[in-house]
Amino acid sequence: MFHYIMRRVLIMIPTLIVISAVIFTIIKLPPGDYLSSYIDTLRQSHETVDEQKIAFLRAQFHLDEPAWRQYLYWVSGLIRGDLGYSALYDLPVSQVVGDKLMLTFIVSVATILFTWIVAFPIGVYSATHQYSLTDYGLTFLGFLGLATPNFLLALVLLYFANVHFGISIGGLMDPQYLDKPWTVAKAVSVLKHLWIPVLVIGAAGTAGMIRRLRANLLDELQKQYFVTARAKGLSPFRALVKYPLRMSLNPFIADIGALLPHVISGAAVVSVVLSLPTTGPMLLDALRSQDMYLAGSFLMFMASLTVIGVFLSDLALAWLDPRIRLEGGVTR
Amino acid sequence: MRKLLPLLAACCLAALPAAYAQVLELKETPSLQGAVKAGTLAPVIERMPSDPLLVRPTVPGTPGGTLHLLMASAKDTRMMVVYGYTRLVAYTPDYKLEPDIAQSVDVEDGRIFTFHLRPGHKWSDGQPFTAEDFRYWFEDMASNKKLFTAGLPEQMLVDGKGPKFEVIDPETVRYTWAKPNPLFLRALAGPDPLYIYAPAHYMRKFNAKYTDEKTLDDLVKQYRVRNWSALHTKLFHPYHTDNPDLPVLDPWVLKTKPPADQFVFERNPYFHRVDPVGRQLPYIDRVEMVIADSKIIPAKTGAGESDLQARYLRFDNYTFLKDAEDRVDYKVRLWRTAPGAQLALYPNLNVTDPTWRQLNRDVRFRRALSLAADRHEINQAIYYGLAIEGQNTVLPESPLYDPAYRTAWATYDPKQASRLLDEIGLTKHNSSGIRLLPDGQPLEIVIENAGESTEQSDVLELLRDTWREVGIQLFSKPSQLDIWRRRVYSGATMMSIDKGVDNGLVTADMPPDEFVPTTQAQVQWPMWGQYLETKGKSGEAVDMPDVQELQKLYKAWFSATDDFARADIWRKILKISADDVFSIGLVAGVPQPIVVSNKLHNVPEEGIFNWEPGAFFGYYHMDTFWLTPEDSDQASAETPKG
Repeated sequence: MFHYIMRRVLIMIPTLIVISAVIFTIIKLPPGDYLSSYIDTLRQSHETVDEQKIAFLRAQFHLDEPAWRQYLYWVSGLIRGDLGYSALYDLPVSQVVGDKLMLTFIVSVATILFTWIVAFPIGVYSATHQYSLTDYGLTFLGFLGLATPNFLLALVLLYFANVHFGISIGGLMDPQYLDKPWTVAKAVSVLKHLWIPVLVIGAAGTAGMIRRLRANLLDELQKQYFVTARAKGLSPFRALVKYPLRMSLNPFIADIGALLPHVISGAAVVSVVLSLPTTGPMLLDALRSQDMYLAGSFLMFMASLTVIGVFLSDLALAWLDPRIRLEGGVTR
Repeated sequence: MRKLLPLLAACCLAALPAAYAQVLELKETPSLQGAVKAGTLAPVIERMPSDPLLVRPTVPGTPGGTLHLLMASAKDTRMMVVYGYTRLVAYTPDYKLEPDIAQSVDVEDGRIFTFHLRPGHKWSDGQPFTAEDFRYWFEDMASNKKLFTAGLPEQMLVDGKGPKFEVIDPETVRYTWAKPNPLFLRALAGPDPLYIYAPAHYMRKFNAKYTDEKTLDDLVKQYRVRNWSALHTKLFHPYHTDNPDLPVLDPWVLKTKPPADQFVFERNPYFHRVDPVGRQLPYIDRVEMVIADSKIIPAKTGAGESDLQARYLRFDNYTFLKDAEDRVDYKVRLWRTAPGAQLALYPNLNVTDPTWRQLNRDVRFRRALSLAADRHEINQAIYYGLAIEGQNTVLPESPLYDPAYRTAWATYDPKQASRLLDEIGLTKHNSSGIRLLPDGQPLEIVIENAGESTEQSDVLELLRDTWREVGIQLFSKPSQLDIWRRRVYSGATMMSIDKGVDNGLVTADMPPDEFVPTTQAQVQWPMWGQYLETKGKSGEAVDMPDVQELQKLYKAWFSATDDFARADIWRKILKISADDVFSIGLVAGVPQPIVVSNKLHNVPEEGIFNWEPGAFFGYYHMDTFWLTPEDSDQASAETPKG
C-alpha cells in the first residue's frame, strides 16, 4: 500500500508539469496578449491609451521576453506558492481568487447535495419499479432537466423570481449585504438566492445521476446473491440497501476525483447568466482578456485538485471495495 | 492674453463671479454634523476653499441619501470620476471651457498656461492642495524614467518637446511651450483627463527620492509588487480609481478596496463647489455601485435596482424598460447621442488582397455601396423611425453642420448604384445574379465586426437584401473585439461595421482627428494610421491623393491661428469625407435610454449622453443631482443593520 501511494504521488509531478505546459501554450495561442486586448478595449470606448502605463505593464509582465522565459517565470512562481499577479484586476491572483472561492464552494456543495438528495431516491425507485408508470414519469422529468438549456432555465427562473417573489436579479445576495461580514440576515439572503443556481445547475446533473444509479442497480438486482438474499427471507428493503445499493455506489466514489475541481470551478455559463460572484465568470473574463497569470494559475490550481481528487477516489475505492487490487498497474 | 473667467452663461448651470461666492453663508451638511460636533472633522468654512466654485442647480436640493448604480466590472469605478467630472478646467453643457478646480487660467499666445489655484483648497483627506502637488507630478513623477518610462504624456509634447514648468507661488503654476499647444486644456478637461498634479504628501511615501530603502522594501513586499516604481504606479490611479487611500478632488471618494462586488463612494467633505444657498456639493452622500454582468444590467435596471442608469442599456432595451415603468418607481428618458453614425461600414483601403484593395479604393464602388443601402428601411425596422438617416458626419447640432454632408450619396437609388458598378466594369453576372469580379469570382463582401451586439447583425440582414438587388452578395462575420481588430490591422478584413465617428458635435476648435488618418484604430485605413502613429516605423505611407489632401488640411488646422481659419479647414475636410465616402454611414442619433428613479431630481429631461464631449452625466453636474429625503434617508440608515 505504501509503495502504491508513493508511486502515485511521484507520478503526479510529471503530470502537473505537462499540464502546466499545455495550459500555458493554449492561453498563449491566440494572437496578441493582455495588453493588446486592453488597448483595443480602451480604443473601442475612445479612452486615452496611456503609453506610460502600457510600457510599464509590458515590463511588469515580461511581455517583451520570449515565451519560454515567460513560462519559466510563471512556473517558478508557482513552485514557490506565488500564483502571480493579475493584470486584469491589478491585484495578486490569490486575492482575486480567494474572495470568490467561498461562494463558489457554497453554490457547488449545495448543488451536489441537491443532486444527490433528488437523484438517489428517484434512481432507486426507478430501478426497483422498472418500466412502471412512475419510472417513466420520473425518467421523463429527468430527461427534461437534462435537455433544457441551462441558461434558458436560468433566465426564466430569474424573471419569475423577481416578478413574483421580489428577489433581486442575479447575484447571490441582496445588494445591501455585498462585501459585508457574514450575519444571519446575510445568510438568509444568500439562501433566498441560492435556490435558482442550485436548481439550474443541478437539473442537468440530476438526470445523469438517476440514469446511472438506475442502470447500476438494475445490473445488481439480477445477480444471484440478491435473489438468494430475498429467497432466504430478507426483507426487500434490507436486502436492497445492504448489498446491491452498496455495489452500485462505486461509480459515485470514482466521481469524487472529478467532483473536487468542480466544487471550486462552478458552472461557468450559468454563473455568467446569473451574474454569480463565483470563479466561473472570473475565469472566463481572464481567458478572454488573456490575463495569463490569473487564468493560468487558476487552471493549474484546478488541475492539481483533479489530480489529487483522482488519487483520493482511488484510495477510497480500494478501501470500500476489497475486490479492487492496487497492484494491477505494476504488472501491466 | 485670454482669461478664462467664470462666465455668467445663459444656461441653467452657471458659475457666478468669485466675489459673489464669498458673501455666501456656508451651511454644514447634515450627515457630517456629527463628525464636526465630535471634533473629528473641521467645520465647513475651514474645509472649503475661501473662493469656492458656485454652481446653480435647476432646483436647489436637499443633501443626503444613497444613490444606486449598476456597473459591469470593477474597472467601471472610473465612471464615478467621469460622472463626477471634476477637472482643472471643465466644459459646461454648452461646450464652454471654464475653470473648475483652478480658480482661473491665463493663456498667452496659446503656449504659456498659468494656473491659479483656489486658496485653501484641500484634498479629500484634508491636506492642502497646492503648487507642490503640480511640482511633484512634473518633477518627481513625469520626469522620472523609472515611473514614466515613455516620458511625458503625448498631450504635453509639442514637436516632441515638453514644457518648462515653474512654481510662481504656492497657488500659481506655469507651463511654457516654445510653440502653441492647442490640445493641452482639452486634455485637462477630458472625460479621462490628463492629470498634471498628484497628492504629493501621500505619494511621497512611495517614492525612493523621499523614503528610505528599507521602509520602501517592506511596502513593496506588503503589496506584493516588484519594486517601488510598480508600487507608486499601482497606488496612483486617479482615473481608474481603485485605491481608497489615495486623496482626490472628486465629489465622491472611493471607500471600498477591490476586489469587491459592490463599491461604495462617499461624499468628499472638502469638495470645492457650493450651491447658491451655501450648501456644499455634492448633494448625494453616498453612491453604491453594484457590479453585475453587463448582459443582466438591463434586467436588473427593469427591476428597479438602479437609480440612474444609462451605461449598458441599449436602444433595444427601451420597450422592456418602458414596460416596467408601471411596476417600478422610475421613468425612462431618451437622450440623444453624439456619434456621427450609430453604425457605419468601413471599406478597408489597406486590405492586402489586390483585387479588393483596388475596388475599395475606387470612389465609384464606395458610392455604389452607399447608394444601394436603404437607410429608411433600416431606420423604420430597427429604430422605430427615431434615427437620422445619412452619412457618417457631424450632427445637426454642430455649428459645422451642412445637410449636404449627411445626404451625400445617401439616398436609396439602386439604379444609380448599378450604373456605377457597371462603369467600374463589374458587368458580368453569375447564374444567381451576383456580379463577377475581373478574376471570375463572385462579388461577395464579408463584413466583419466585433460581435458585441445583435443590432449590427440585424442591420446587415436588411442591407443584404438591398445589396443583392444590385448584384452584391453580403456575408456578415461576427468575431470578437481583439481578433477583429487584429484582422483589420493586418489587412485581412475587406470591410467592417462599427460605430461612426465618436464625436458628431464638433466645433472648430476641436481637432479633426477622426476624419483624417491618425491612428491604427481607424478601421478604414489602419495601416496609414499606424504609419503616422509610429512616425513611419511600421504601416504604410498614404498613397491616395484625396487622403493626402486630408492630411495637409489636418496639419494646417494645428497651425491655424483663429477659429475662422479652423472652421474653414473643418468644412473642407468634411466636404472631402462626404464626397469620397471613406466610411458608409447608415443611421445616426439613435436615442440612449436613461433610467432615472422618481426619487432622483435635477437630471435633465433631455440631454446628450456621450463620452467626449459630455463625460456622460459629467457636463450636467451630477453633484447637483439630489434624492427625495425621507425614503433615501431611511434606506441608508437601515442597511448597516442585520
